[in-house]
Amino acid sequence: MRKSRKDSVNRRDFLKAAATGTAAAAIAATPAAAAAAPPPRITAPPPLLKLADAAPATAEVLTVDRPGSDFMVDVLKSLDFEYLCANPGNSFRSLHESLINYGGNSRPEFITCCHEESSVAMGHGYAKIEGKPLLVCVHGTVGLQHASMAIYDAFCDRVPVYIILGNFSDAAVRFGPVDWTHAAQDPAAMIRDYTKWDDNPVSLQAFAESAVRAYKIATTPPMMPVALVAGHELQEDPVPDGANVSVPKLTMTSPPVGDSGAVAEAARLLVAAENPVLVTDRVARTPAGLARMIELAELLQAPVIDRNGRMNFPTRHPLNHTERAGATIAGADVIAGLELTDFWSTVNSVRGQVNPTWRPSTKPGAKLISVTANDLFQKSNYQDFQRYTPVDLAIAADGEATLPSLIEAVRHQITDDRKRAFADRGAKHAAAHEQAMEAAREAAASGWDASLISTARMSAEIWAQIKNEDWSLVSNCQFQSRWPLRLWDFNKHYHYIGAEGGYGVGYGAPAAVGAALANRKHGRLTVSIQNDGDLMFAPGVLWTAAHSRIPILIVMHNNRAYHQELMQIQIMANQHQRGITRAGIGNLLDDPAIDFAKLAQSMGVHGEGPISDPKELGPAIRRAIEVVKSGHPALVDVLTQPR
Amino acid sequence: MRKADFVRQLILIAFAPALILTFACPGARAQTSSAQSAASIDNGKKIFARAGCYACHGDQGQGTNLAPAIAPPPLELSPTIAYMRQPTGKMPAVPVATASDQQLADVYAFLKSLAPASSVESLKGNADHGKKLFASYGCYQCHGQQGAGAAIAPRIAATALSLGGVIRYVRAPTGQMPPYTSKVVSDQDLADIYAFLKTFPPPAPASSIPLLSQ
Repeated sequence: MRKSRKDSVNRRDFLKAAATGTAAAAIAATPAAAAAAPPPRITAPPPLLKLADAAPATAEVLTVDRPGSDFMVDVLKSLDFEYLCANPGNSFRSLHESLINYGGNSRPEFITCCHEESSVAMGHGYAKIEGKPLLVCVHGTVGLQHASMAIYDAFCDRVPVYIILGNFSDAAVRFGPVDWTHAAQDPAAMIRDYTKWDDNPVSLQAFAESAVRAYKIATTPPMMPVALVAGHELQEDPVPDGANVSVPKLTMTSPPVGDSGAVAEAARLLVAAENPVLVTDRVARTPAGLARMIELAELLQAPVIDRNGRMNFPTRHPLNHTERAGATIAGADVIAGLELTDFWSTVNSVRGQVNPTWRPSTKPGAKLISVTANDLFQKSNYQDFQRYTPVDLAIAADGEATLPSLIEAVRHQITDDRKRAFADRGAKHAAAHEQAMEAAREAAASGWDASLISTARMSAEIWAQIKNEDWSLVSNCQFQSRWPLRLWDFNKHYHYIGAEGGYGVGYGAPAAVGAALANRKHGRLTVSIQNDGDLMFAPGVLWTAAHSRIPILIVMHNNRAYHQELMQIQIMANQHQRGITRAGIGNLLDDPAIDFAKLAQSMGVHGEGPISDPKELGPAIRRAIEVVKSGHPALVDVLTQPR
Repeated sequence: MRKADFVRQLILIAFAPALILTFACPGARAQTSSAQSAASIDNGKKIFARAGCYACHGDQGQGTNLAPAIAPPPLELSPTIAYMRQPTGKMPAVPVATASDQQLADVYAFLKSLAPASSVESLKGNADHGKKLFASYGCYQCHGQQGAGAAIAPRIAATALSLGGVIRYVRAPTGQMPPYTSKVVSDQDLADIYAFLKTFPPPAPASSIPLLSQ
């Protein structure tokens, strides 16, 4: 006879009770058992198996009316996740089922991923466009091991990703050998060094409170991934009758703002400086951050060097001096690093030969100011905090949140004399900016008609096709010699989302698809310049893009190598003086050459190429954009110069 | 999982010499004679000292840990002046208001006088063989298959460097470029690569390319 678990003894409670000698009493406490059996007389804890065998056949539990995972869905819905990215795993099977049936597969909608690394990286890219996390579910063991590199990237990039770890927590109810293999005593331990917070709640109410807490922690600067364990039995057992469970209210935490005295001092230094420089990396998290950066730079007529961790400053603004960073830093008397990840390398230069040597890039006496939330929270083991930089004024606060008060303080301290001086230097900076832009265009002309196609030509060909669209570039430009940032007009916060953060290869493709997922509802044309080596880590994300109808234009930067490593081996070969013709071993991806167009086609993605004639590139991109505008992904494979 | 980023460290000064020449001597005599004349050399020597060029490049232009060797100059006169007017590395620009072309030519003459011309200048290069070596020796990895350059390394096609300047630099580079010693690349190989690089025409001006005017 089948019995619903709504009316039955919870199996976990039963086995727990067995361990304490009260299982029989627990059985007797149910109405059916009470009617059928006299009060038990327990003299000693019997063997576990004996007790289990003793359970009456009529009490076998085959259905559950309201599993705990339904309540988990209530909790997760309160956090308003748009999407869930996951590769399925039976450690969260109950939650999976509750999400798609009880939750209606809506907010969050399940996005099927082919690798947990893709799930997390999609969440990483999504958050940088949308400004909030999506939900990721992974097996707490093997799935998490797959996901770990992507979690590390998001951690280093200070991006919130919200991760649920399925786990077979209670050893007594594991079904068989796989459950044991896929169970962990402390699932989050392996990622604790590179997440901001985790928890392993043992009751539904604790799950609810930890779920809301996790969201707050993840989205408070410095933002980072968080992980919450959802025990298999907590998901699958019914919500106990009469259980007093509720979903706590989410109140977002306001970001930390700089101390008013310190901010005033920063403003004083900046206003008094003859050559102040603003260096940005991850300061603009939102459109407001971008607007505030423009306001601050224009108020001071100070040049901005953008390290491009986010879209911090328009590329064609006369005060954007990223192209002449060396000379700008060398001439500065005050340098303000705003959420600047690597201050040391900004004010020092390295010569990376056998023994790397550093020397200051600044003139003596230059004052350094830092504003970063990283001063509020650091981990120990992984060294992404970069070399210690002895700054003159350190403000432990979120950069974007501090900009309004800094702007106000600057405005308050500017005199008419300073305004005139600022206007004069602004004109000089504008002229220098234009000169640098012209130099970049001249450099782009070098190798213009080359086949293999230069990365400058490829970037210019893409720009010609998208410049009149509402576009969003969601890939890291670094490996294309930053040509898009040097040639295109970036001026909106979604025009660029920075890089992987932890430099982990394999981020590019899934993060781009995640960003495209966020851009979809806004109708933006998402563009990704995709490195070949990166795509080969987990190309299944192309299928996810096709399956979930995620429109994205992917242009392959196909240099047929792990080119960064190729150069590294060349450096070693030179240092060791043992011949320099074999650096390709282990680094080239050319025999056989990978046909990325066919790879894309095999997964339902429009694919063209390989294209090596630069004259054919523009028309191919146009055709691909038509596909993207119809709501589907498209890939154009371009055989390129290395960088 | 591999971690693969050293780009921020492969910056700016891979091949281009950072010639630090600051001219603060408005009274220096303008020369109208040949750049190679004794007077020119003597004037250049004075300018070199008074302007403090030695502070970074050494008093014999031999180079220091701050700046590369510049004696003899690795570039011809015209590109040397062009570089000083608009340097790409740490070196501050030298505007015309600070030093005339003739004054810079005098310094150039002084630097040329400090070291005899290298015998390698007489080597004849084989461009076809140089093309093969350019690929097999991995020059393209940073400079591109046509020597067009990239963010991590400058354009070297149709280089303005002399052959001697190229050889000196690749043997003992001052930037991020790895050293190519004579154990791995002979002078003749470098002469062949140099001949290959000299086969490239100068790039078209950006203004002639519509896509670069967007």
